[in-house]
Amino acid sequence: MIWIGDVLVSRGEGGVYNERMLGGARVWEPYRSKLAALYHVGKGVELEPSLRVLYLGAANGTTVSHVADYTEAVYAVEFAPRPMQDLIEVARRRKNVIPIMADATRPETYAPIVEAVDLIYQDVAQPGQAAIAIRNCLFLKPGGYLILMLKTRSVDVRKDPAIVFDETIAALKEAGFIVLESVWLTPYHQDHAAIICTKPAKPGE
Amino acid sequence: MQSYWFGDVGEGRCSAVTGDVNAMVSRILSLSTQLDTFTPPDWQQAVACGFCSGRADYLALLQAVCIAAAERSVREHYSGKDAELLQMVRTLDEMDTVVNLLSERAADWYMVRHPAFSRKYRRTPAHILVRTMRENSRGALGKVAGEIGQLADTRTALAKEVSARANDVMPNTSALIGGLVAARLMAHAGGLLPLSRLPASAIQVLGARTALFAHLKTHTPSPKHGIIFQHRRVHNAPRDVRGRVARVLAGKLAIAARIDYFRGVAVPEFLEQAQNRIDTAGKGDGA
Repeated sequence: MIWIGDVLVSRGEGGVYNERMLGGARVWEPYRSKLAALYHVGKGVELEPSLRVLYLGAANGTTVSHVADYTEAVYAVEFAPRPMQDLIEVARRRKNVIPIMADATRPETYAPIVEAVDLIYQDVAQPGQAAIAIRNCLFLKPGGYLILMLKTRSVDVRKDPAIVFDETIAALKEAGFIVLESVWLTPYHQDHAAIICTKPAKPGE
Repeated sequence: MQSYWFGDVGEGRCSAVTGDVNAMVSRILSLSTQLDTFTPPDWQQAVACGFCSGRADYLALLQAVCIAAAERSVREHYSGKDAELLQMVRTLDEMDTVVNLLSERAADWYMVRHPAFSRKYRRTPAHILVRTMRENSRGALGKVAGEIGQLADTRTALAKEVSARANDVMPNTSALIGGLVAARLMAHAGGLLPLSRLPASAIQVLGARTALFAHLKTHTPSPKHGIIFQHRRVHNAPRDVRGRVARVLAGKLAIAARIDYFRGVAVPEFLEQAQNRIDTAGKGDGA
């Protein structure tokens, strides 16, 4: 990751969402982007120029644009038409962003398009977030990573965030993921946790 | 055999798709994939197929197709008759808020300029008050009052349009509860399709979210009605039967919304029957 002092940045064409520029690089705000927050709390998967990424819940494409600055290709899946319009605009200006309007709970609708990827980044506001990750892991190369941003409030507002967190981790482990790190994104985001997993090179390893 | 966006691959053979971007978009939107035997596409297969010349070419073509597909999906999503109505209702409700807030503020300002002025014991309708303020105030206050008047006029015109559009888009629901309230129900559900999928019990308390969650969390009494309270049948009903009227009305609205979505035309037999049933509930002798 590229840091200028203690500011996280990415190198690419600016002006996507009027982001601040610093020394010609785009400032990646931890209070706006959960992925930036994850790097700020000192965790996360190092983004490299060779990586292919499946991004579930791409929304307006602000975080997508930063991920695309670091990586080779980003498959950006978003369901709602309003943010999709913005995402298409981001894709027009970046060669490596592939916009897909589809429901992340139904990977069969975009399976013919998405290559095997090194990283799945998931940030969806839906219940059943562990199930979505598990259904999409067929795109993940063995040894690849999953970063799951858990919005506990989207799973069940009445439940204690800590319980939702534990349940999600248990579901991921049961599906064969190895949980490497899990961390709350406070103070940048409330009731949001990040879970970083890997898929074993061979099943059962 | 596997079908990918660039062609069909299997048994050592591979046939690349031909045709323009539009044809490829139609193809990928219609592909269905069995996930249990699926392996993700590989760009080297596409090169071997003769579909593209290399990695950069692969990504460029894929992006062109995916952007076109996404644009088409967005366009289809907005093509429903309810898409614009949804925005119209939300604009209307927002204008209501703005007009009310601004007139309250302007009235406070006006009272500072006219210490003897009070609204007590007078039944001045809001628009008359706004006109008085406009005519009796110099400078910015007069202009603000003028703007409020304009906004209120626009709001009235918009309300009429919403009502007319709702009668067209959701004729049965509108016939039962009026175009404006029908449109609000639709907007709260997020569209005509989501509304038609709601159970009657959800339609009954649509718009009473705070009360509903208070009920679920702390066991306060459950809400009897949400948006449908705005209809005279519910708010004019005596307190002791109001819950029943709301329940029966919501039941009929759930059916009406389904007819609206799947048939799109008014069904007089259903409407007559439903109106009678709701009237009986209001009189207190229906079960």
